[in-house]
Amino acid sequence: MGGKVTCTLGEVKNRADLVIYWGGNPAECHPRHFTKYALMPKGKFVPNGRKDRTMILVDIRETPSAKAADIFLQIKPTKDFEMITVLRAIIKEQPVDPAIVAEIGLSLEQLRDLADRMKKAKFGVMFFGMGLSMTRGKHMNSAALLTLAAELNAFTKFVAMPMRGHGNVTGGDVIMRWMTGYPFGVNLARGYPRFNPGEFSTIDMLIRGDCDAALILGADPGATMPQPAIDHLARVPTITLDPKVTHTSRISRVHITTAVTGISAPGTAYRMDEIPLPLRPALKSPYPTDEEVLRRIRQKIACKPLQLPPTVPMMTDAE
Amino acid sequence: MQLTATTAKTVLTLKQRPHIPLEAEVLTPDRLAFKTRDEIAALPLVLGKRQVRVDDYFDVEGDGSHELEIHGDVGRVKWIGRGMTRGRIVIRGNAGMHLGAFMSGGAIEVDGNASDWVGGEMRGGLIRVTGNAGGQIGAAYRGSMSGMRDGTILIGGTAGLEVGMRMKRGIIAIRGKVKDFAGLQMKGGTIVLMSGAEIRTGAWMVRGTIISLAPLRLLPTFAFTSAYDPTFLNLYSKCLAPYGFALPRAGKEGIYRRYMGDSAVPGKGELLVWQPNSP
Amino acid sequence: MRGNSILRIVGGRVYDPANGVDGVVRDLCICDGKIVADVEAGRTIDATGMVVFPGGVDVHTHVAGAALNFARAMIPEDHRRNLAFVRDRIRHGGIGGSTPTTYITGYLYAGQGYTTVNEAAVPILTARHTHEELRDTPIIDKSTCVLMANNEIVLDLLEAGEYERAKEVVGWSIWAAKAYGVKAVNPGGVTAWKWGKDVKGFREPVPGYSKVTPADIVSSLAKIVDELRLPHAVHLHCNNLGAPGNVATTLETMKALEGSRAHLAHLQYHAYGGDDWTNFRSESVRIAEEFNRNPNLTTDAGAVLFGNTVTITADGPWQHLLHKLTGRKWGNIDVENETGCGVVPYVYKEKNLVNAVQWAVGLELLLLIDDPWRIYLTTDHPNGAAFWRYPEIIRLLMDLDFRREQIRKLAPAALNRIFLPELNRCYTLYEIAIITSAGPARALGLANKGNLGVGADADVAVFNNDKDAAKMFSYPRYVIKGGEIVIEEGEIRNTVEGKGLLVRPHYDPSVEDFIRPLFEKHYTMSFDNYPVELERVEHAEVRPCN
Repeated sequence: MGGKVTCTLGEVKNRADLVIYWGGNPAECHPRHFTKYALMPKGKFVPNGRKDRTMILVDIRETPSAKAADIFLQIKPTKDFEMITVLRAIIKEQPVDPAIVAEIGLSLEQLRDLADRMKKAKFGVMFFGMGLSMTRGKHMNSAALLTLAAELNAFTKFVAMPMRGHGNVTGGDVIMRWMTGYPFGVNLARGYPRFNPGEFSTIDMLIRGDCDAALILGADPGATMPQPAIDHLARVPTITLDPKVTHTSRISRVHITTAVTGISAPGTAYRMDEIPLPLRPALKSPYPTDEEVLRRIRQKIACKPLQLPPTVPMMTDAE
Repeated sequence: MQLTATTAKTVLTLKQRPHIPLEAEVLTPDRLAFKTRDEIAALPLVLGKRQVRVDDYFDVEGDGSHELEIHGDVGRVKWIGRGMTRGRIVIRGNAGMHLGAFMSGGAIEVDGNASDWVGGEMRGGLIRVTGNAGGQIGAAYRGSMSGMRDGTILIGGTAGLEVGMRMKRGIIAIRGKVKDFAGLQMKGGTIVLMSGAEIRTGAWMVRGTIISLAPLRLLPTFAFTSAYDPTFLNLYSKCLAPYGFALPRAGKEGIYRRYMGDSAVPGKGELLVWQPNSP
Repeated sequence: MRGNSILRIVGGRVYDPANGVDGVVRDLCICDGKIVADVEAGRTIDATGMVVFPGGVDVHTHVAGAALNFARAMIPEDHRRNLAFVRDRIRHGGIGGSTPTTYITGYLYAGQGYTTVNEAAVPILTARHTHEELRDTPIIDKSTCVLMANNEIVLDLLEAGEYERAKEVVGWSIWAAKAYGVKAVNPGGVTAWKWGKDVKGFREPVPGYSKVTPADIVSSLAKIVDELRLPHAVHLHCNNLGAPGNVATTLETMKALEGSRAHLAHLQYHAYGGDDWTNFRSESVRIAEEFNRNPNLTTDAGAVLFGNTVTITADGPWQHLLHKLTGRKWGNIDVENETGCGVVPYVYKEKNLVNAVQWAVGLELLLLIDDPWRIYLTTDHPNGAAFWRYPEIIRLLMDLDFRREQIRKLAPAALNRIFLPELNRCYTLYEIAIITSAGPARALGLANKGNLGVGADADVAVFNNDKDAAKMFSYPRYVIKGGEIVIEEGEIRNTVEGKGLLVRPHYDPSVEDFIRPLFEKHYTMSFDNYPVELERVEHAEVRPCN
């Protein structure tokens, strides 16, 4: 239960002989993923590159990525969790019900073949996208895939990794962890970090109207979030830091134009496998960096009377 | 001066609905019982990042007692009854998140709807909600090894996702329909679904029993074992009947089909699905 | 960071083993961040009746970087179980528990009188991340050890018999990672784990290689570190950690290290007898006897305390086994060409025979190794217990009655598997000052730390003289870091920033021409982004190699 078995992308490049993409379309969304890391490169232990690897794509529709696959497994929508759960049973030689398996859109033979390839791989990897993690079942779909990967280590080497989105999402996650102990969905209102996705995650808070102000940094929720969440952003004072005019900046009370990180602002970005990469600015920008703006806001707040957190006793889980 | 808890009730009436969630873990009979009305009025609540007083949001009547009655829509008030060990809370209106989380005794009654995490990781006692409830009822908080360890949760209406996630003991009974992942990773205890559930019921369960009076869409990792008359249901019937949850006995009207799973774990949980005889 | 306060601490009983001072009442003067002979003005702290120690030095801990940060996300239940830290006028808020957040790590170490720590496991590839976390870890000075014993470039060179070039690569890597020392974890075993295997024998080739053995890696790295004149010896996590009967491997390792300096990390985990978990027992006596005979070696206890924690190590294969044994959740990250890391939450239980043996072995080694200058207090944080529980171990070492009371709580079946009940030695305050400060400072080659002599860094801890050593060392009255008072009356008063300690060993810069093409072939980022720039290390202090 729980946990995560993963690696850096160089491990995939050098070793992976079975590459599975699940619920994602890297050919269009992560165009360099095939060529730089996972499929084409010649690696230390896969000297012939693409020829030494088998690529399997699992998705509900045939995307351009299917052309790159040796095997394309098209499944019925919202059957990912069922399929992964069946695979977990098959690798342990436990019984499954063939009639219900058929609802996944694949035959039991296809699933057995897949399980067999997984076990026989020398080094297997599963990359999963939002087609898995953002469809019905959400975090449990991701948990299912991570658990399957962990369990496959009883037979061979197997890892799993999410295909993170644009920008420095991973960096935000990494820094939240060292500052608060939690990756996201953190509430600091009581002066110490508390974590509960669903309760404190952004979309849920906005939809319920649980916040009375918003600061948006490095994101465009106005373009991606559900309408009730966007409506709340428009309702409360929203401040957006962004180099460009965005859907979010249009509904914000305040939009501060900032320098483009990576082009005009230095720093560190974390790749999807959490490898830190230095950003070296190539151009000068007339605009301040995000960091500078936040620092100045913080200085202004520091001039106000200090507001200490509530003094009520901390909530800890009793043993 | 040692005060004794009076037999009278403590009544809180919501004056204004908070515009953001209000955290009120102090509202338990344990914390209020030996306090005067004024002391209760001055107890701290947390509104966002600010500390407020009970009487900023509630009219307080009566000194502290083992019985707390709350009037008004407290659907935005979180953590009522957190960790309570005794006494009774009656809420006339909706209740907010984490109602009765970690409670080990006493009773909470809600005449209205409740939100997510009703009875999260509770150890004992009774929570009864007449209306609908949210998700993660009696569940483990994120990362914890187990959800509720004992006690009873009764929901009159529908419920959300992950009901009874990782529960170890105790009973959850829900009259209305339940969303996905009821009994997720369940380790023991009983969930009664009077109107069934959507999908993935009993996913990854290790042990424990889920009884459904409506047909379920099963995961492929559950196997039919037998159709029978589980005599232990008598016990549950007796316990649940006073609250209007009647479990039919196998016989003329139908029979229970028993499935075992989840073989992905592999687990030995059981699903008992009522199958009425065709007329 | 060097403070500019002027201080005089008067009337305290001073324990300064680096200068042979054993509980002498004398004044201590501080100016410009250093201990000085005398001061004229400045503040006076009355330490009458109190005990004055050099600031603590932790030779082996895991407080920052990709592996620890991975663990943080895995154990929200642990964060909730422990008291968190509420933001106030001076402090940031954060999480305590098994994997404290960065700011809290600084507060907690300083809060028990520690002023220098050595983060013991840093891959080159993610060193930038480690240094970013250490920037956010206040008060304490920090050094790091870079992981080398499963680095495939190094292993390939050793396989090809190219020792000299391997040495250049190690030298280059230390500077690239802005590290202070060299760490070797389960030499060869983590590489094997990348195929789901572990190394078999200490003198058998590593899977995937035809010649190079763990023994070769160990002895070569020890020699390389000596020849590079690093201030700290090779920092070695031996093969077969945690396994029943691993005493044999540990003894063989000591033999392979003859003629070189070496620091054996968390020796407790490497001193077990028996063939399997059913007859698992302590072999601390054999280990301590052999260790006592080898003055080239230092070690740290890696002691275990009962309770919840999380285990984090670059030893991937061991973590997979632990996950299978306990059924607890398991995290693993393999880092390309360099190392790996595994994470498994764990509870040490008094009534569990294996855990009882582990608890005893840590204390036995501390009591049986006769030279306190060669064994240091650690728990391999967070593996054996969180570092903020060190005072509990100090009490077990100093207080025989308390120790006996704790032994009585073990399952009776554990008693004939351990030696602890027969050991009557008790540590003195002078010896505690050695194993928590002067000794580890010397092992790290930090002459200005763990030292209250004139010219040393003014890192000082002042404790109440309490009969209960656990209480005494949990709540220092004053802690002074670099001459600034950071703790006063048990409260944090000032959160200064600590230094980043590193070395620049001598190596031939042309080795880069050898590494670059290999890197471009086997790694996945631009070579120019690989080394960490010196300015990324906050308050960097480059220490000499001589």
